[in-house]
Amino acid sequence: MSEEQKVEYSQLEADYEFPPSRYKLDYSSVAAYLKAVEDTSSLYQDTELVPPMAIAAYAIAALSENISLPSGTIHVSQELEFIDTVGINDTLTSYARVSRQQSRGKFHLLTIDFNVFNQRQKAVLAGKTSFILPEQTGGR
Amino acid sequence: MGMSLGQLSELSEGMNLHESKRIITQANINLYAEASQDFNPIHIDEDFAKKTPLGGTIAHGMLILAYVSQMMSAAFGRSWLAGSKLNVRFKTPARPGDTITVTGRISRIERSEGQTLIHCDVLCRNQNDEAVITGETSLRVEGNENSC
Repeated sequence: MSEEQKVEYSQLEADYEFPPSRYKLDYSSVAAYLKAVEDTSSLYQDTELVPPMAIAAYAIAALSENISLPSGTIHVSQELEFIDTVGINDTLTSYARVSRQQSRGKFHLLTIDFNVFNQRQKAVLAGKTSFILPEQTGGR
Repeated sequence: MGMSLGQLSELSEGMNLHESKRIITQANINLYAEASQDFNPIHIDEDFAKKTPLGGTIAHGMLILAYVSQMMSAAFGRSWLAGSKLNVRFKTPARPGDTITVTGRISRIERSEGQTLIHCDVLCRNQNDEAVITGETSLRVEGNENSC
């Protein structure tokens, strides 16, 4: 998605729903994730399991494809619920909506809820991400 | 794979999870940016980051949180991957060169018919003993006495 197509955060209001994002974690993307976080757990060696934090990371990355966050945006809190395991090559769809948009002086608090489902429409992960954003002075 | 911290009946409130230490490097951060597709310049563009109030690049909060998740899966195995929750605050950014110590402690155990709910406090702190992440986790484990 180009910068022009992204939603400016200042336009977001509570209950705004982002377009659903669909993605698949294949062997190479899971291997890249495990290498990046230096996770050598036997849970993921020779199994089809995907680390739940990789799913969360992709869900949050999908959000950033839809929203233009200014530089200086800070991730302040994160809630996650790992509902079910995800296997390599599962197709995941993430639905996200703004649950809170609040101004505090020169800063804005933005909270986004997201829910991730697999190809069988079973919930696998739910989350709530909060950011503090500075006054907008241009895209990030 | 089941729990590695010990049999369920051996768990007790106040028990510490295995601590780990991680040294944050810009190379780690760049790898994580690629793997997560999060290319916010505050993480990867040193020239950009120097001009911000943070004064330099910082690690993705989700990278540090991944270390917490690893501690939980090391302790509780596959039980951590489904039927678990975490709730954390990012308190101080982690920067290249920082040594992050990841710790956890079982704060409460609720045993009921057929399952056990385990609550933990988790903390990541830097080499200056500043909290980087604070929070809580919980997970549900089938069984309430000798199974796991």
